[in-house]
Amino acid sequence: MFSQIVIGGFATGCIYAVVGLGFTLVYRTLRMVNFAQGQVFMAGAFLGLTIAQKLPMPTPLLLATVGASAFVLGLALERLIFRRLYHNHEVFIVGSIGLGIILTNSIRIMFPEPVPFPKVFGSEVIQIGSARIPETSVWIVICTVLLVVLLHALFTYTRTGRALRAVAADAETAGAVGVNVSRAIGLTFGLSCAVAAIAGVLIGPLYFVSFDMGDMVGLKAFAAAVFGGINSIPGTILGGVVIGVLENIAGGYISSAYKDLVAFVILLVTLVWRPSGLLGRETPVKV
Amino acid sequence: MKSKLSGFAIAATVLIGTAAAHAQDIKLGVIAGMSGPGTSYGIGIRQGAEMAVKEINAGGGVKGRKIALVVVDDASNPAQSVTAMQRLVSEKVDLIVGGWGSSQVLANMEVAERAGIPYVVVGATNPKITTDKNKWTFRVIPADSDQAEQIAEAAVKRLGMKRIAVVHDVNDYGVGNRDVFLASLKKLGLEPVTVVSYQSNDKDFTAQLSRVGSSNADGLAIFGTIPAAPAMMNQARDLGIKARFIGTGGLANENLMTLAPKASEGTVLTTLFHEDVDADAKAWSQRFVKEFSGAAQPARPILAAYEYRAIKTIAAPCLASAGTDRDKLRQCIGSFKGRMFGIPGEVSFSKTGQLQQQSVFVEVGNGAFQAFKGK
Repeated sequence: MFSQIVIGGFATGCIYAVVGLGFTLVYRTLRMVNFAQGQVFMAGAFLGLTIAQKLPMPTPLLLATVGASAFVLGLALERLIFRRLYHNHEVFIVGSIGLGIILTNSIRIMFPEPVPFPKVFGSEVIQIGSARIPETSVWIVICTVLLVVLLHALFTYTRTGRALRAVAADAETAGAVGVNVSRAIGLTFGLSCAVAAIAGVLIGPLYFVSFDMGDMVGLKAFAAAVFGGINSIPGTILGGVVIGVLENIAGGYISSAYKDLVAFVILLVTLVWRPSGLLGRETPVKV
Repeated sequence: MKSKLSGFAIAATVLIGTAAAHAQDIKLGVIAGMSGPGTSYGIGIRQGAEMAVKEINAGGGVKGRKIALVVVDDASNPAQSVTAMQRLVSEKVDLIVGGWGSSQVLANMEVAERAGIPYVVVGATNPKITTDKNKWTFRVIPADSDQAEQIAEAAVKRLGMKRIAVVHDVNDYGVGNRDVFLASLKKLGLEPVTVVSYQSNDKDFTAQLSRVGSSNADGLAIFGTIPAAPAMMNQARDLGIKARFIGTGGLANENLMTLAPKASEGTVLTTLFHEDVDADAKAWSQRFVKEFSGAAQPARPILAAYEYRAIKTIAAPCLASAGTDRDKLRQCIGSFKGRMFGIPGEVSFSKTGQLQQQSVFVEVGNGAFQAFKGK
């Protein structure tokens, strides 16, 4: 039973981690929190659903298509909305919450009811010891690792990635030395939407998809990012996995009524005890 | 914080009048969750009302007065349900037939009670709805206390279950069912092997199901609704749990088979309506499915049958004899006694406003609800 609970929580935790990455990417660049992240995750799941139903394609291609579409959506949202909001953190927070509500209700009009998601990752069940793991969970973990590796490669080895890091470290200086700052910010939003949407497709086959699926996941992903260190990519991944596993253990051994509590107790304790998170830095100044 | 915000920001009510209301029209309020987790039930309630009212109006109305429907969506949310009910009160409806979800009805019936409008509940089963406190609220579907007691007895005596695990929603429906079920099991000399709970919006049930799996149960009673219940069934089978599922009215929804096509096979439950009970029920079902096939939402007959019968068999005759005087209307509804298609024998209201009747047992087979004939 223990291994089952830990493995189940690990897969869910990966989803928190990937959605949390979206928070981290935007925060690193703008020092602002985009609260529409959970709703972008939800919209990504429905985008994946629609594509998979209308135009069946191999799963890697589906993930890439959804990621690319969400990337473009992120660019567009940045250009049309976020760019006008991020001059002020309060305005940005309220604006992103509003955007999330709009996304939720637009999807609600089209899909008022929960919908089953095609089993794009197969429906085998893998037995490891006494634990039984749906194939989808395994793919969630694999894809999370792949995403992190890809992001790492992007930030470390590409010119664009280095530009993004430079903007994250110090936008003003980066701008002064010729980095296109507004393009970098646009790309950041694109990337954050892309990872959230991919997470939506990853989790879709495990559960049903519904218009309200992003609310709680978004909050938990935010808790994961803060817990791990909202300016640290490895920290967010760690935070997501820890929250996923701990809440499942609490749900299994204490009471599932307190399952949701875990993420938020962790969030609160982190904020009081170590506001910069496990792996976050107090003043992230890089040269 | 945010989910709460978005909850309130979602428009609380949707108003759909089927016809422009005239001064003399009788205003019939319908409240239910037509979005959110209760959508598939709420749609059924709306369809039943539309069909009944269409037929009554086509036949000349009630003593020449047409019935105008006022439909409000409470988004399956107790807080919004109160707002939606206030909307019906301010629309000055003559009576209300509807309501889905025990938590919502327990919240919104207070509004109807205070306003003094007869309220016939069709889609909520918590025993606390019909007590000696409610004056204006009636209920036509069986309460959990009846359903849970009957399914406990069937589990032990007809299905021969010896190790029963219970999974329940922490809402009023789930807890109400659990309490009665456990008390009934005790009377039958059985203790559950494990009792675990979940929240309506939960998606991942591995934690709960791991406990069920390690308890080696041969029966799993699920007291919850769509979509959590079918999600749990799918995950239970993935986890290798072979226990047979049992449940009450919360599972009695066609979406159970859509969302858990394989996993729901063999589930035995008490339901509220099945077309094979009598010929009139069969004829009505066929008419109903014909009416709504090809509509934007698939036909959802179970709660529709209650809504339809509550309007046609109870409300319309009372509107004809008592008019729209609210107090006379209330007294007329309370003294109803007679036959309703799909229910064996005569039915009548108890002192607390509960319509007393026998439950119908069904089993999921070949992707549909079949009359349960097992021993």
